[in-house]
Amino acid sequence: MIGRIWAIALNTFREAVRIRVLYGIIVLVVGANLLTIVLGQMAATDGARVTRDIGLAGISLFGSLTAILLGVFLLYTEVQRRTIHSIVSKPIERWEFVVGKYAGMALVLSVLGMLLLQGVGISDAILKAVVLSWFEVMLVAAIAIFFSSFSTPFLSGIFALALWVIGRVTPDIEAATRASSPVIQWTTKITLYIIPDLHLFSVSGSSVDGVSVSVHGDFVSWGYVGLSALHGLGWIAGLLALAAVLFHRRDFA
Amino acid sequence: MSVPAIEVRDLRKTYRTPFALKKVEALRGVTFTVETGHIFGFVGPNGAGKTTTIRTLMGLIKPSSGAASLLGHPIPSRAARAKVGFLPEAPYFYDYLTVPELLDLAGRLFGVPHAVRLKRADALIERVGLGRARNQSLKKFSKGMLQRAGLAQALMNDPELVVLDEPMSGLDPIGRKEVRDLILELRDQGKTVFFSTHILSDVEAITDRVAIIARGQLQAHGTPAELVAKTIQGVELMVRLAAEVDPGELVTGADKVRRIGDELSLTLPATADVDAWLQRAHAAGAKIISVSPRHETLEDLFMREIASADSSPAAMEGRT
Repeated sequence: MIGRIWAIALNTFREAVRIRVLYGIIVLVVGANLLTIVLGQMAATDGARVTRDIGLAGISLFGSLTAILLGVFLLYTEVQRRTIHSIVSKPIERWEFVVGKYAGMALVLSVLGMLLLQGVGISDAILKAVVLSWFEVMLVAAIAIFFSSFSTPFLSGIFALALWVIGRVTPDIEAATRASSPVIQWTTKITLYIIPDLHLFSVSGSSVDGVSVSVHGDFVSWGYVGLSALHGLGWIAGLLALAAVLFHRRDFA
Repeated sequence: MSVPAIEVRDLRKTYRTPFALKKVEALRGVTFTVETGHIFGFVGPNGAGKTTTIRTLMGLIKPSSGAASLLGHPIPSRAARAKVGFLPEAPYFYDYLTVPELLDLAGRLFGVPHAVRLKRADALIERVGLGRARNQSLKKFSKGMLQRAGLAQALMNDPELVVLDEPMSGLDPIGRKEVRDLILELRDQGKTVFFSTHILSDVEAITDRVAIIARGQLQAHGTPAELVAKTIQGVELMVRLAAEVDPGELVTGADKVRRIGDELSLTLPATADVDAWLQRAHAAGAKIISVSPRHETLEDLFMREIASADSSPAAMEGRT
């Protein structure tokens, strides 16, 4: 099982590193890194802080957008181009294929994330922020691959992007509806339950349990990071399981 | 008794269009058996149900009803797929890969150990004639080269059963001959080969058994000899006559007459009294060169079965 999943993951990684759009992203990432360093040098005070802020924001933004861009094509293209025919006719279960594709994409995104981290000095707080961002990107990738299992890249892209944006501002949405009628409040609450809470992974400069946290000062504990990671893993497992079920039911005519 | 390589029982597949709720019956109760060690040709016009049957066997499509098994394992079966090599119709592979990379991927999915994988991939690349193109990405391959790469990946697990969907498609006459030779070689190694095609000469040349499918139903099934021997369409009588002799009465009643120089070729009806014709030929001073029954060819049979399927009540219903 592991061998088959690894074979698909390796092939997905190979595919990603050979597509031109990824090189565009890498150029953008390297450019952003250079800009980070230049802005850090130019800052009147605390240049390192500027470098850290832009670097961490870059991981979250570029990572999530790349995850959506790669993820929405992942399963759809296999079916559309019929490359799937020569794969699932071999002794591989369809869920293994879905997991393998996801693992390959996770590998690509992790390599990209490491590129983004160049120039950022790693401290305990930064490491926590990076781990949280990595889980956010992994979750966004799972969202994209879930939509890709039944929808076109265009629609999958829109859905995944919408969930990413909504997921990042869940406390703001809750706050905005606080003064509304109980029906709206409950509807919002229920809706937010079925949307991954990506805000959990982006705590820098925001409020956690009423306390303002930031990588520059107080930051969340490893316990918080662990619980958030578990939350992310739960969502990832659920989304991949759903994608696998949908993929399993499909006819590849 | 050995387990059949493929067993298909009353296989049906119905598609429903999403909005019109119209039913399209791609397979309407297909039943056949492929014995181990045979080369089995699955013949039919475009849209007959060949590819749907094959994709159902390979687990790409779920049947609406009916049953099928590969090497004794009911489909869809991972255990069976481990022993089966499959070439899809008009194969499309990851075009960023080279042939060795494609074969490595196939080998990994089949669980072939690393050392065996390397050795087997090398041998197969040479066997299908892609040695010179081994470093090119599949993106640069012609249709025929892709077909060869597809054949190689189908053999990476040294399969017991090889299922090939239109393996000759896109190949030039030399390529077709090579694929025919490869199929015969696989049979000689004790493997079973099941292939679909609409190139009847290939079927006649190499298959042990043939099934003709049209409009989702099997129309005929048997050895090529059995299928075509059932009907003798006429008798070919070839005689030599002196150039100045008028064939006269000799040609009366023949279906077709052709004279080239002093040779006269007569096509007699299937019911003709051949002895009487021979006596008439002797009487006319002709020398008999050959007398041979003209059997129905697979092409004749194919055309007849397709026409019969097209005029069946189910087909007429499908048109309305």
